[in-house]
Amino acid sequence: MYRRLVGANMRGQMQYRVAFLLDLVGTGIGTAAAFGTLALILQRFENIAGWTLAEIALLYGLVETAFGLMDMIFSGFDPGTFGQQVRRGTFDQMLLRPLGLTLQVFGSDFALRRLARIFQGAAVLGYALIAAGIRWTLLKVLFIPVVLASLVCFFGALFIVGATITFWTVESIEVVNIFTYGGVEMMSYPMEVYHPWLRRFFTFIIPGIFVNYYPALYLLDRPDPLHMPAFAPLLAPVVGGGMLLAALAFWNFGIRYYQSTGT
Amino acid sequence: MQPAIISVNHLHKHFKIYKHHRGALGALCNLFTREATTVRAVDGVSFTIQPGELVGYIGPNGAGKSTTLKMLTGLLTPTGGEIEVNGRVPWKQRRAHVAHIGAVFGQRTTLWWDLPVIESLDLLQYIYKIPPAQFQHNLDEFRTMLELDPFLNTPVRSLSLGQRMRADLCAALLHDPPLLFLDEPTIGLDVVAKERIRQFILHINRARGVTVILTTHDLADVEKLCERVMIIDYGRVLFDGRLESLRDRFGGQRELVVDMAEEYATVDVDGATVAAREATRVTYQFERNALSASDLIGRVSARYRIRDLMVREPNIEDTVRRIYEERLLDEE
Repeated sequence: MYRRLVGANMRGQMQYRVAFLLDLVGTGIGTAAAFGTLALILQRFENIAGWTLAEIALLYGLVETAFGLMDMIFSGFDPGTFGQQVRRGTFDQMLLRPLGLTLQVFGSDFALRRLARIFQGAAVLGYALIAAGIRWTLLKVLFIPVVLASLVCFFGALFIVGATITFWTVESIEVVNIFTYGGVEMMSYPMEVYHPWLRRFFTFIIPGIFVNYYPALYLLDRPDPLHMPAFAPLLAPVVGGGMLLAALAFWNFGIRYYQSTGT
Repeated sequence: MQPAIISVNHLHKHFKIYKHHRGALGALCNLFTREATTVRAVDGVSFTIQPGELVGYIGPNGAGKSTTLKMLTGLLTPTGGEIEVNGRVPWKQRRAHVAHIGAVFGQRTTLWWDLPVIESLDLLQYIYKIPPAQFQHNLDEFRTMLELDPFLNTPVRSLSLGQRMRADLCAALLHDPPLLFLDEPTIGLDVVAKERIRQFILHINRARGVTVILTTHDLADVEKLCERVMIIDYGRVLFDGRLESLRDRFGGQRELVVDMAEEYATVDVDGATVAAREATRVTYQFERNALSASDLIGRVSARYRIRDLMVREPNIEDTVRRIYEERLLDEE
């Protein structure tokens, strides 16, 4: 059923071929420019907090690829567009269909235009994996898809929480966007460059540190400057999966609230 | 008597409206203050509907019509009271419930905005798990009746309002629901389009036995479709009964329009007043309870030579307006 819904959505998107291509090219240029800036700065300073360009490219590539994938798969939950669905009453139409709501929201949008970001992120990631001097083991090879999946779950959870909040208010969407889009920016840099309270925020409140920074330390065999337990890198799937489950629980709670108040 | 298809008992829905502060500081205030007033959108509504009925649910804006409909379709949870539709509680068994109803909310579409109509209908076949033979049979029938063929391959966003409504009606009925909810099915349509929609609603009610509940602002819909009318205002049912009994009780005066054979100096008759006079055409008004139409015709024809005549019922629109404005039902 999910395939049918997504298929329908894609056929709809293909109705706007020019807009789609422009969007694809535009996003491609935008994200490439972002990494280009980073590369230029690093050429000047050689490294940031002891991280070389290739090493930072690992952080950046993981986050960008995963965020692009998430943005494509979870685009039905994008708080901005989902908030509009709630206000325009299209969410009510989903309540009128004999299908699960989570499935329907997933199936309501599958943003193919994110492909540009995914390709760009994957290219940077590919460069990092070759140039960062990783000493490869089988475990590390297997770990990379796990990290990507954890990151997708992590960002997806933020999207779902943001979408759920729109049942109460659409005024606070910007706050949620700070965490998602801001999180992407911040997680592209090594955590030791940040002020301790910001690090604590990313450890205990929105634990992004476990899905990107620690896995990168493990892949690069870098010592942990923050002195976390040695198993910290392996927490990535636990944190990603846990956050997604918690977000879905909040989502279901939000639906019950919505059904008791309407719009 | 068959068991009711819908039974509603002491239904209540109260909304809390929070006071809204404006501006950036105000938005902050909104997070922390909770000054609320309670609005009783539906305030103790009870009724039952038998299979096969065609019921008009009418009332002014904000009377509680949509809120009731949203609770019946499972979109909203009531504050209090009970609803059973097809033997199910809508908001508790949402998926099973919506699989056995059809619903068209006039302002919105169920169809996929960017897809051709036929693709949306195909998707609904999978969503409702409609057996192919049944799907094909229904689609063929509705295509002809609603004249969908000219725009079956047009994306929904390019349809006119009337076309979209026809496509939505088809979409709502493909899975053979025994019950159909229509919220403002004729809103914004021209006379021809309205008539076509009405014919279709009558057909599916008479020929297929589908129970229909419709809300409308267009009382012509009620007059042409509904045998039973429920009038709601301030969240309460003001009237629930047959259309004729609504007329009998609140209809006020009927009119007899007579074309006289010649122009008379006076045209007075006992029991009726002359409301208008234009050359040989005279319009009498008379109380339905005091005088029957045939008695009046007898009295007129006894005195004057009549060429043609016509009895005019007060239209439902005026009747309902009187009920709203004069609160005729308040004291009951």
